[in-house]
Amino acid sequence: MKRNLNIHINHITRVEGHGSIVLNVKAGRIEKLQWNILEAPRFFEAILRGKHFNQLQSITSRICGICSIGHSLASLKATEAALGVEISEQTVLLRRLALHGENMQSHILHVGYLAAPDLFGADSIIPLLKNEHKAVINIVRIHRLANSMSDLICGRTTHPLRFCVGGFTLLPTLKELQSLREELLNGIDTLRNAAESIQAEVHHLPDFSRETEYIALTAENLYALYEGSVASTDTGIHPLSEYLSLTNEYLLPHSTAKFTRHNRESYMVGALARFNINATQLGSLAKEIAARFDLTSPNYNPFMNTIAQLVEIADSMEDSIAIIDELLARGLEEEQPEVKIRPGRGIGALEVPRGILFHDYTIDEQGNCSQASCIIPTNQNNANIQKDMEALVPTIMNRPQKEIELTLEMLVRAYDPCISCSTHYLNVEFT
Amino acid sequence: MKSMTRGQWFSFTDSLIQDNTRDIIGVQSKGKRFHFALLENAHDLRLDHDVTLLPPKKFLLPTHEELIRFDISRPFEVSSSKPDRAQILIGVHPYDVIAIQQLDAVYQNPPVDDIYAARRKNTLIIASDILTIASRSFAGSLGNHVVTSGYDLLVTDLGDIVVIDEGTSAGRELLKSFGECREALTPEIERVTQLRAELPGRYRHKLKVDKWQWTELLLNNSTHPLWEKNARKCLSCGTCTLVCPTCFCYDVDDVMDINMKEGTRVRTWDSCLLRDFTLIGSGEIFRQAPVDRYRHRFYRKGVYLPQRFGFVACVGCGRCATQCLSDIADPLNVMNTLAASSVETRLDLPIPHKKPHHLQGPIFLPKSATIIRREKMTQTDTFYEIELDSRKPLGHQPGQFVEVSIFGMGEAPISVASAPEPGRNSFDLLVRSVGNVTTHLQSLTVGDKIGIRGPFGNGFDAASLRKRDLMFIAGGCGMAPMRSLVKYVLAHRSEFGEVSLLYGCKDPDSILFNADLNVWKTRTDIVQKFTVDDCPAGASWDGNIGVITDLIPLIDFDPGKTTAIIVGPPVMYRFVIKNLKDRGMPDDNIIVSLERRMKCGVGKCGHCQINGVYVCLEGPVFNYADIKDLPEAF
Amino acid sequence: MKPRVAVFDFASCEGCELQLFNLEEKFLDLIKIVDVVSFREGMKEHSDLYDIAVIDGSIMRPMDVERLKIIRKKAKTVVALGACACIGGVNKLRNQWTSENVRREVYGDANLEGNPLFDIFPARAVDEVVKVDYYVPGCPIDRAEFTKVITAVIMGREPRLPSYPVCVECKLRENQCVFELGMFCLGPITRAGCNAICPTHRKGCAGCRGFLEDANMDAFKDVLRKYKIPMDEWLKCFDMFNCKIKREK
Repeated sequence: MKRNLNIHINHITRVEGHGSIVLNVKAGRIEKLQWNILEAPRFFEAILRGKHFNQLQSITSRICGICSIGHSLASLKATEAALGVEISEQTVLLRRLALHGENMQSHILHVGYLAAPDLFGADSIIPLLKNEHKAVINIVRIHRLANSMSDLICGRTTHPLRFCVGGFTLLPTLKELQSLREELLNGIDTLRNAAESIQAEVHHLPDFSRETEYIALTAENLYALYEGSVASTDTGIHPLSEYLSLTNEYLLPHSTAKFTRHNRESYMVGALARFNINATQLGSLAKEIAARFDLTSPNYNPFMNTIAQLVEIADSMEDSIAIIDELLARGLEEEQPEVKIRPGRGIGALEVPRGILFHDYTIDEQGNCSQASCIIPTNQNNANIQKDMEALVPTIMNRPQKEIELTLEMLVRAYDPCISCSTHYLNVEFT
Repeated sequence: MKSMTRGQWFSFTDSLIQDNTRDIIGVQSKGKRFHFALLENAHDLRLDHDVTLLPPKKFLLPTHEELIRFDISRPFEVSSSKPDRAQILIGVHPYDVIAIQQLDAVYQNPPVDDIYAARRKNTLIIASDILTIASRSFAGSLGNHVVTSGYDLLVTDLGDIVVIDEGTSAGRELLKSFGECREALTPEIERVTQLRAELPGRYRHKLKVDKWQWTELLLNNSTHPLWEKNARKCLSCGTCTLVCPTCFCYDVDDVMDINMKEGTRVRTWDSCLLRDFTLIGSGEIFRQAPVDRYRHRFYRKGVYLPQRFGFVACVGCGRCATQCLSDIADPLNVMNTLAASSVETRLDLPIPHKKPHHLQGPIFLPKSATIIRREKMTQTDTFYEIELDSRKPLGHQPGQFVEVSIFGMGEAPISVASAPEPGRNSFDLLVRSVGNVTTHLQSLTVGDKIGIRGPFGNGFDAASLRKRDLMFIAGGCGMAPMRSLVKYVLAHRSEFGEVSLLYGCKDPDSILFNADLNVWKTRTDIVQKFTVDDCPAGASWDGNIGVITDLIPLIDFDPGKTTAIIVGPPVMYRFVIKNLKDRGMPDDNIIVSLERRMKCGVGKCGHCQINGVYVCLEGPVFNYADIKDLPEAF
Repeated sequence: MKPRVAVFDFASCEGCELQLFNLEEKFLDLIKIVDVVSFREGMKEHSDLYDIAVIDGSIMRPMDVERLKIIRKKAKTVVALGACACIGGVNKLRNQWTSENVRREVYGDANLEGNPLFDIFPARAVDEVVKVDYYVPGCPIDRAEFTKVITAVIMGREPRLPSYPVCVECKLRENQCVFELGMFCLGPITRAGCNAICPTHRKGCAGCRGFLEDANMDAFKDVLRKYKIPMDEWLKCFDMFNCKIKREK
């Protein structure tokens, strides 16, 4: 069948930010297939220029409302690296807890609110909520749990307040940590129930596979989120300092976001990339959830990124309980972080919900930022989304147009793109 | 006096904490400062604190407190909040004990605030002697460094030993139930006496003027340059009042739950330093200039409250001085500066003596009432006839007002527009659409329910008008309260002399109560004159065009035998009164009814204050002679 | 009939829209009192028939202006959501440079003439383009305040924003003043309504809800001098959400 198709999904829904898909097929031949980013560019790196090091976290937090904790932590890590500030073990534990809170919040938002409606045959979560669908109620509960965790550690869920260069402005009390621990323990069954409901519908995910390069942080003793070296499934482990040669940002005129490439035409970051690289380090609950979905490493189906996120929620819950236990055992101490101004450059990298994030700052003698660059997970995924679409479309070209549209939307959604992030700004050379 | 060891004191505190029937509130550290908070561990209690950030007042009058709870999905469902949880406050310093006594006087003065009273009844106070003096405190100069009453127990932490004075039988019971204490030994009592005796000398800051002279000092210095100078630095942030143990004003607002069914009416601490504190529905702000608000605070402390309650409303805790960023709030600095100045023109700010109110029961709970007649009068004004669902008459006097509630929208003070008539249970309201409540009222119709509190205030004293000639001067919707009096007078016409009504409006379409005016026109025993500011071309109008004072010369009156009653928008009074006085009318013969932001109606919330006068208590009807010297009145 | 609500986003981090989901169980109540007919971040359904348009984000491009004007025409009520929509927020920080300058710095020598995606002008708040009826300020918005505004709008009640500074709420929360802790705080000149969330967590207020129109700036500058805050730091902090200066570089 030599068919003609003219698909233009403008402002793709249930993703963070504005993107579109254009597909033109003439007589069975793809003439144009493009993943576009339409979001207005927001120039964050220009904004950072000249700002005091104390302000960088608050400003970069505003790059993205969904992963503001991740941006804040990457920003603090870069600032602390530039200034040579040492942080305490207690701070690392609390920051890991904060990152878990965001990981859970962002993942459940994606799995439950944005991706799941496709599985449950709804246009959005709203009709599901109105019917008080069992799965959705559990999803809302996990979302609230994740948010109450961020509230406790960061002062609020979006744009964290208690972070500062060198540590925290305010600590939770042991009693508060204790009750969070209870909530997390109670949350495990809620998560199991949610996973069960999703499992029943998981056959709606397209069976598609395309091997690509996967990049994520990796560490020796734990499933890396807050710290580690950069690992590629193609080229092995690299030190952080090589991050620019790993990411290689480039610009396309139909998109206000940048694209990246490394060893191949594209690579993937995010939950599935982390799973493919670090799966053996997952905890027992995460392994249990993965097994439920027959998810094993490596997995080359990008649609399974959503399931990898569900697995990571389990791991974050379990690891959070372990971190809280450690904090309860050691007690909490008010710290007065020592911060002295020293010119230098620092790179902060960590795994945020959508993949590896880099902030790179240069700070001058006055303590002001003279150069800044941020490389965002979604930008790193853009080329991979494009390549996946190119591989996917020929396999589904004979299906009804509606189904093609839905499948393409589902593919983009599976990456959980964070477009506000991706259009934060591109590299700028300050003069 | 009793005493116990430090260890026993901990056990005592701990035993209180373990008893789950009460909340134990104690002083604890907060960062580098202190606060009163729920005590979970006896070891967190501090008795060496200098001063807490906020006074313990927040446990008697919470920062946010539910007054009533309602459900708008039902015709009329509302209940009053009844705080019943018992509590003990531990570590209250003498100056704060005195401040609580002042708060008691204000809130338990009729009309009693039942919610405050319920909470207070369930509260025991364990005071503590001052060990550390706060850097800006001058309680020593006021004699507020020690206290002899107002506590249930008073503890003095001597380090090894804690000496306890039993102030009330409830305190004695508390101690008795613990058991482990003995009579204090003489040397212990001597140590306590010495500690107290040495305190005044330890204060760095000393007041140069006795607190009982504050009133005179302030009245003599109302135009002192200090007011302007300090007010220029004022951020209008309210900090000085919000941290003050003697301030007690609040705001009231309705908050809906997101289900749009249930909601609460909540009172929140407010501050007279904030610009919109005196804002009324029509947009006027009566203390617009920061200097007026700045000065008001000191007059309140040193003049208005001493006049009304007999105490100086400053206990010298130093909280305002410490927390005011611009450092202009310290009463010590202000009073010491004024003390050094020479006497200026003297001001008198008397509070007219009026009949007190004795309301019973929950004062914030509105009564259910029904709209039984509704008539649109102008573009913005609607007339309502209201009947209480109890079928009882409102029991009002002409000139009084009610608080009209629409749950979820709030309350608005509205003058009653009808005279009390034998055999009539209903009453009339005229509502001009200016705010949320009044605008929403316009959409209600016959059969709809509203809430009514009141009647409040002092209305027209009809007895004092008997035998006199009366000149009613009304502007705009001032005609509504005026109507209640006119109707009363016409119903008892033989008791009065000559009667005239002068009425001014924006334009012919804004004239209210046309039906009444037309009836009165047919009577020969009342002269009526009308004016409008503006008459659009083509409108039929045979009255005057111009301001209300144009009408006064049209009436032939004897200023000595005539009483003028004036009700209108705030701008009208000055001109009318001047005109009458130019015609030789004595101040005593002028009666006015004033509009302010009467939020609570019971003399607590503070929004309707004109200098020291509460419009909701002493007003809204005043004899001009009583308030003519109040700078904030006109 | 339930009011029909549509949520639209422009240049922002979408964190304010996220707060709607962060209402958690209360989001269930929200969708019972209104019909959400468009919310791109959260739903595929879309309708052009709506009563209340909720706008998140600043306006950066002519193409955004066109879209916004159409929304204004269709909606009875327009609510600006968050600092970006209410006052321009962090997006205005880039107004310190000309658009030409920014574009050259960002995209180098690439020829982007005529490409509407890159046609940018200095960031604007929503009310610099169309009339806004009500505001929910803050970065991000306060969930409770959003609830208050939306319930008021539905009831036909004017949602009034506080006309007093953040200090009021900060005192009620009994915080130690962050100036005492050596921090810079815009609380004394910034509109309250956030329940003083930043100082409560020991961060100075950054002014995300906008300055009070009658703020006593002179008195505030005296305070900054009293606490010896360097002038350079003032300007940077003033700028973060309330950048009005245009610096050419």
